[in-house]
Amino acid sequence: MAKSLMIVDDSATMRKIIMRTVRMSGLKFERTEEAGNGAEALQKLGGSPVDIILCDVNMPEMMGTELVKKVRELDSCANTKIVMVSTESSKELIDGVMADGANGFINKPFTPEKFQEKLSPLID
Amino acid sequence: MIDQVCLSDALLEGAKEVFGTMIFMDIEESSEPDQQIEGDALLGSITFMGDLEGCMAICCGDSCAKTIAANMLGMEPDDQISRDDINDAIGEVTNMVMGSVKARLNGTVGNLNVSIPTVVRGQKIENSLGDPENKVSVKVNIEDEYAAEFLLLYREGSG
Ligand SMILES: [Mg+2]
Repeated sequence: MAKSLMIVDDSATMRKIIMRTVRMSGLKFERTEEAGNGAEALQKLGGSPVDIILCDVNMPEMMGTELVKKVRELDSCANTKIVMVSTESSKELIDGVMADGANGFINKPFTPEKFQEKLSPLID
Repeated sequence: MIDQVCLSDALLEGAKEVFGTMIFMDIEESSEPDQQIEGDALLGSITFMGDLEGCMAICCGDSCAKTIAANMLGMEPDDQISRDDINDAIGEVTNMVMGSVKARLNGTVGNLNVSIPTVVRGQKIENSLGDPENKVSVKVNIEDEYAAEFLLLYREGSG
């Protein structure tokens, strides 16, 4: 089945790096979207939900932690998997965001292997 | 108070990890402690709060910053890269090095809350920061070609 992906990060450079790393990991997505913060992501998701969201934590406008809660309130995104991609590594933060409905956590800096390991179980 | 060797090790190791995995550039501690960054430089900085508070900064020359941005974006250094893209890339490097340093200090200083990075451009900006007692500086060579400096300015925080 065709899969879709959204990358949410306030850095345009990081969005490009994540896109490239996803490609290098061998995972294929039919449709890819980008958003610069949580609010923009929500707006785009309202129109067309995606299968996987890769989401930064520290962003202006709306933090990634807030976005997770909001996405989980959307019926249209009930099957959407959210994987946080962040420099944050504290256990409290990871536990908190997983409890709020995130499905995984990848630390920056990352490798294509890490993406493969964390994302492929969510795609099949 | 946390020992400065521990901080400078975390800073260098954190920087090496980020440059190795995300920027694909080799980074070595400089053998010349007096090395200076000539001409226009970029300073990326990020603040942190917690048991330790202060800021972490990266300072490098204009052409070094452009090469870093090109590598991160998968472009050639001769390609046209806008100033905004270069600033964004340096901001993200700052963010990742801070994340990596923070993970390394986790057992020593507990959790640190980190801000969003800021990038400024100027000349000799690295010299204007902080007094030596509460400052750790690691001077490096990137790809044997560029001089750069990583800095940590800190004091004991209110938790
Ligand atoms: Mg960010």
